[in-house]
Amino acid sequence: MDNRGRRRVWLVVAAMLFVVAAVLMFTGQGEEPAMETPKVEFPRRMRAPERERAERRRTHVLPVQVDAGTQERARPRDPLLAALPRGEGKTAVVIEANALRHSPIGELLLDCLMRDGGKRLEELRNLSGVDPLQDLDRLVITDEGMMLSGNFGNAKFKELLGERVSMDYGEGARVYEPGDMTVTRPDGSTARGRSEAAVATWNNELLVIGKSPDEVKAVVDRVEGRGPDEPPAISEGSTYGEMYGVLSVDQLARLLPKEQAELADRIRRVAQNVELHVDASGDVAMVAEVRGANGDEVTDLGKTLGAALSMARIKAQAEGEKDLAQLLDFARVQPDGTSFKLEMAVPLDVIKQRLAFCKEERSAAEAAER
Amino acid sequence: MKPVLGIAGYVLREALSRKFILAFLVGITLVLTVVALSLRIEVVDGALAASRLFGEELRNSIRSVDVALRPVYQAAAFLVFYGGILFGIVACSDFAPSLMSPGRIEHLLALPIQRWHLLAGTFLGVMTLAVGGTLYGTTGLVLIFGVKAGYWTAGPLIAGLLACVGFAAVYAVMLTTATLVRSAALCAASGFVFLVGGIIAGYRQQMTPFFEEGFGREAFKAVTLVLPRLSALAVAAGDIASSTPLEVRSLGLLLLGVLVFGFGALAVGFWRFEGKDY
Repeated sequence: MDNRGRRRVWLVVAAMLFVVAAVLMFTGQGEEPAMETPKVEFPRRMRAPERERAERRRTHVLPVQVDAGTQERARPRDPLLAALPRGEGKTAVVIEANALRHSPIGELLLDCLMRDGGKRLEELRNLSGVDPLQDLDRLVITDEGMMLSGNFGNAKFKELLGERVSMDYGEGARVYEPGDMTVTRPDGSTARGRSEAAVATWNNELLVIGKSPDEVKAVVDRVEGRGPDEPPAISEGSTYGEMYGVLSVDQLARLLPKEQAELADRIRRVAQNVELHVDASGDVAMVAEVRGANGDEVTDLGKTLGAALSMARIKAQAEGEKDLAQLLDFARVQPDGTSFKLEMAVPLDVIKQRLAFCKEERSAAEAAER
Repeated sequence: MKPVLGIAGYVLREALSRKFILAFLVGITLVLTVVALSLRIEVVDGALAASRLFGEELRNSIRSVDVALRPVYQAAAFLVFYGGILFGIVACSDFAPSLMSPGRIEHLLALPIQRWHLLAGTFLGVMTLAVGGTLYGTTGLVLIFGVKAGYWTAGPLIAGLLACVGFAAVYAVMLTTATLVRSAALCAASGFVFLVGGIIAGYRQQMTPFFEEGFGREAFKAVTLVLPRLSALAVAAGDIASSTPLEVRSLGLLLLGVLVFGFGALAVGFWRFEGKDY
């Protein structure tokens, strides 16, 4: 082949290679938008909507105190926060039921709740006069019992608890002692039962369930300003996330499985207080702040927890549990002197996959009803 | 093949005689030594519990060591990819023009080899140099973090090799430029232009909407369709180094595409070199 022919061959080869390269690169990179890496927003501080929400909830003004001739105007406060237990080492976990209901995870949980086509929910509405999806705002779990806040103006407490011994208490509360109760079913039949729990209602805003009348009275005392001077277990500045509160170290240790008995013991020994915040506005992200007295011991506990999470992740990877491994990717411990923050997250997609059966069963039940 | 290898050896000897190539190797060694001596990592059951750099404790969170090291490996991959190509452009821009300088080219053309052997040999020599340097640097990095953190991954090594493929495409363009104009500066400039073009080509999908519909957008799409998608390769290198899922549909095809582009550019060089009078 002469020089001219050889040159022509090189030119043709070059053109062909460029075409092949373009096709390969086009196919290889793909034209669909790149998958976004999951990003999780952890609840680390109060955000503007939560600040506004806390402000809106300051509705209760204590009566004016006349002291040595001076009148001091009391600042309005959130009755539910005022009702919380006081002092160190107490447990109080607030679930923002209304916010949770309107979150993506809330929609999924609602599907699970209404797997029977919503029959039980309707029954509860008719019996109590309370629509949990509309009227319930917050739910608090404490060592002593439970508190619910919301709009209970339509509640049928008198019909439900009318047989019990009850009394007016304080300025706006009614306390029901433990006793019998009769429930009228939608079909007109009645069912009788006995409840060992004492109940108090306050201004159609709060419903307190406790072990004894004295306990629920103590809660009403705190709401109406007759309680101890100590600050409540959760300060207003900590009311962020869809679930938040403080857990006693004992409660936290009890949550750990038996295989982690050593870790539970260590938590009891080292930690003093655990503050918890869970955000469910998108992915479910949790931040737990563990505080203790000894900085070194707290840091060591943080390292142990970090190592335990790391081992769990390695195990999940080794066993091919991709979801769990991905979930534990976000887990980390952030030491900070005498405290550390433990962060964990569950991507919403993982929860959606796990709870997909609820939606299917709900749709099937609703279709059958039609 | 023998003449191509002969020319490659000739290029390598020339490179080793240049002081700043040696300085580059010494530089990599120094960086690796400093990292090895100054970094202390405490790992507890696979979790990065604490780390110190130059004796100062770094405020790190305690998390799985591979997750904690992801940003480090990703940064290293980008540094190796773009830094390596940039250094390669500057360091190797002079090879081809000096090979084709008057007096030397006549001597080379007098050898019993075909003209394309000369270019192919130069390309092979430079690529051997690039692969050697990359392997040296990335192996050092893998060893340091492997020994210190107990976490062994070939990710950075593979990322380095991807960078070499990217550089192959760029250097092929530089070599072809040398057959058009015997200027090291213009060779480096063409390499730089294709590096920038390659970065843009990798993000063509995201950038297309910035062009008004019509000729402008279609021209942009046509040009970037052919250019080597270097940024896509860099992102893939970062993903591999940090053991995260790949964003590209098929790395193999992308890699092959960039390499084939390089061969295409080299073929243009052969075409030009065959017809040139010296």
